[in-house]
Amino acid sequence: MNILRFHTIFLFIIMLISIESGFAQDHNSEADSLEIYVPEEVKMLETVVITATRTPKLLKDVPVVTRVIEARDIKNVDVANVQDLLQAELPGIEFTYSMNQQVSLNMQGFDGNSVLFLVDGERMAGETLDNVDYSRLGLDDVERIEIVKGAASSLYGSNAVGGVINIISSQIDKPWLLKLNARYGTHNDQHYGGTIGFQKGRFKNTLNVQYVACDAIKLPNDGDYGTIYAHESLNARERLTYSYKGLKLTGRAGYFFRERESQQTSHDRYHDFSGGLKGDYVFSDKDDIMMSYAFDQYDKSNYSLTSHKDVRSYSNVQNSLRALYNHSFAKKTTLTIGGDFMHDYLMTYQFVNNGSHEQNTSDAFTQFDWAVTEKFNVLAALRYDYYSLSDLSHLSPKLSLMYKFKRLSLRASYADGFRAPTLKEMFMSFDMANIFMIYGNPDLKPESSHNFNVAAEYTRNSYNLTVMSFYNMVANSITTVWNTALNGMVYENMSPLTISGVDCSASANWDCGFKARLSYVYTNVDYHENELHLSSTRPHTATVRLEYGKRWPNYGFNLALTGRILSSVTCDEYTSLTELTDTQRVTYPGYTLWKLTLLQHVWRCFDISATVDNIFNYVPDYYYSNSPATTGTAFYVGLSVAID
Amino acid sequence: MKKIIGIIALVLGLSSCNGIFSGLYDVVSPDAMPFGFKEINEADHSGTIFIDARDYEKWTYINLEDKIVDTANMLHNDEEPQKWHFAIHRYDVKTNGGEARQTDFLTFDELRASGDYENGVFTADTLSKVIVDMSGMMNGVLLYHDSEVNKVLSRWLDVDTSVMPPIYTMSGKVYILRMDDEMLAALLFTDYMNESSVKGYITIRYIYPL
Repeated sequence: MNILRFHTIFLFIIMLISIESGFAQDHNSEADSLEIYVPEEVKMLETVVITATRTPKLLKDVPVVTRVIEARDIKNVDVANVQDLLQAELPGIEFTYSMNQQVSLNMQGFDGNSVLFLVDGERMAGETLDNVDYSRLGLDDVERIEIVKGAASSLYGSNAVGGVINIISSQIDKPWLLKLNARYGTHNDQHYGGTIGFQKGRFKNTLNVQYVACDAIKLPNDGDYGTIYAHESLNARERLTYSYKGLKLTGRAGYFFRERESQQTSHDRYHDFSGGLKGDYVFSDKDDIMMSYAFDQYDKSNYSLTSHKDVRSYSNVQNSLRALYNHSFAKKTTLTIGGDFMHDYLMTYQFVNNGSHEQNTSDAFTQFDWAVTEKFNVLAALRYDYYSLSDLSHLSPKLSLMYKFKRLSLRASYADGFRAPTLKEMFMSFDMANIFMIYGNPDLKPESSHNFNVAAEYTRNSYNLTVMSFYNMVANSITTVWNTALNGMVYENMSPLTISGVDCSASANWDCGFKARLSYVYTNVDYHENELHLSSTRPHTATVRLEYGKRWPNYGFNLALTGRILSSVTCDEYTSLTELTDTQRVTYPGYTLWKLTLLQHVWRCFDISATVDNIFNYVPDYYYSNSPATTGTAFYVGLSVAID
Repeated sequence: MKKIIGIIALVLGLSSCNGIFSGLYDVVSPDAMPFGFKEINEADHSGTIFIDARDYEKWTYINLEDKIVDTANMLHNDEEPQKWHFAIHRYDVKTNGGEARQTDFLTFDELRASGDYENGVFTADTLSKVIVDMSGMMNGVLLYHDSEVNKVLSRWLDVDTSVMPPIYTMSGKVYILRMDDEMLAALLFTDYMNESSVKGYITIRYIYPL
């Protein structure tokens, strides 16, 4: 029985006591019952998070709005991958297809390369069409996912322009555990996973393996794509921890493999090898230091079904060194000083003669998290990044303020965001099917943004309401532009644009077992260019989650109805890539998708899930690249066993 | 700053900086798969032809009898070889005054077992246009060249350009080529990519004479 399940049962027992107490006592005695009953909304605020400040901190004390998705949420909504999870939980996030069915992210107006994905704080190597390989992010072994919206380059450097999504792995705290799970659904969608772990003396070890596969899906209507490629993937992660007094050493290794049946005689293959060593040392109650080395190699290859040759066409290798020192002052005030060094190597078929380029990046940063009073918190940070190949440097400041007034928390922040040109963007020389060339540009400037956030969060008993407005001034976005002289596309910096909007979330957790969460995001992307609306970001998106659950000693259930509501979007698109003169107005239809999941807990160790996805049988009339890749209602069943 | 970074890079150990496990992959050298006729079996008259048909301006001419592959550039008005049986331009196919039909057989063994070589409608080449320059595509300009094309043989590969990237689907069928001298050949197109999955490289299995 893992810690989360224990907490859930414990909380449930407490809730029962609370309910019983509530019935037994005068209903006015709310204060009395609150002493033993901890609503989830309040409990969630006691969650320790790390992403927003790079130091452990209670969610309620973080001066930057952070959204946390816990393992329990992942289980309750029964999702197959991180894309489905983020879309189910967060409005404003949309995963679509770009060319050749490569997955592309839009998060509140920001593309995939402007949102930094981390796994336990480490970057991911490799990209395809400006997005990391999201299928590497398995959900079996996840304790929680922290999402910080808005720029965070003062702590994380390049790519942290639109936000940071940090996937935190679970930690074993039992002598041993064994978890097995299987999920099967429409289109022969299969997911199998297993985790085995132990804790003995000063050692902890966890090994997780996941296998995912799905048949090709023939779409019933016309579209930008007609068949979704069949695919399978394998993801294995090993983590060993040694702890002694204030020292904690963690070694990890990972292997990932994915294959797409993209061509009749050739399949796309993706390999990733990762590893690392991390040392945390607490040498006083006020001082701790962390040092780590991380290795991540992401390869792409083409496997010929006729010659059975597997030929590598791409390899991105990142070696990173990190150091972080924290000194705590009195009254929850912390000084953080850190630095990173990364060697970035890229070989790709998109360079001349399948060549390679490499560069070193380094940075130093500091952050002062000052609890001025119990109610007032100031966080200031500054980071300097340097890129050797382009001789490019960038300074990223940040200032965040938080003021707590009874149940209300007010937050305001300014943050600089930037994204350095990638090796691909600087040195590409790629012949696009004899049609045109795509050229890199070594003189690119980094993308940069000024991000302003203002947020109010109100929490009372079982209720939580958060409203955040955001405003981003983005300069020098990097994109490809037609160059007549070269008769090809060239990477260039774009004109400025602004991305602004409102992000609201309301949640409630009633004693009777009902839970509800409603989230809404309005996003406006303004290109300031001839009054054209060039963004295909949907202005209105919302997510809904309604849950009802009960639990007894040997049985429990949770029924969850989740929904995504996405508005249509009308945008102007250039009719020619070579002459940016004529545009046509295109409307991409809105849609809603709803899912019903019944999760049953039996004898404390079995979880049985049954899911009806797309319960209203939505099928796009035409499959645009941003249409959901659904053929209608789909069914999934799952079984997981947890023994410890 | 650069010196400091350089020292750190050395400390890191450059051995892993450019990656590990490269042995997992196959290395294909340009000479590994030579163009032309190969895997020739004189006993059953079969073999394999591997050609580079990437150049839009060229026809690649195949002489099955003498086992010769030659090319001619349309825009340079290169002369055709004196003797050839069929030719390939990208994925277009033409015959030298011959005719072709598509069978329902997927292998030569099935074809031989049936003995059904000429029982069907044969189709001759027709005057058509083939693309010789794609570079103006983004400006909506494609350059074409008049040429004979055999529509039946060219069915070996369907390129659906209504979606991006295009979907390539091979018919997988055996084709019968009847020359102008009534000799027969069986053709089976087995790939449109090389070992590195670069398109425009075509592999053809053949039986000649059939």
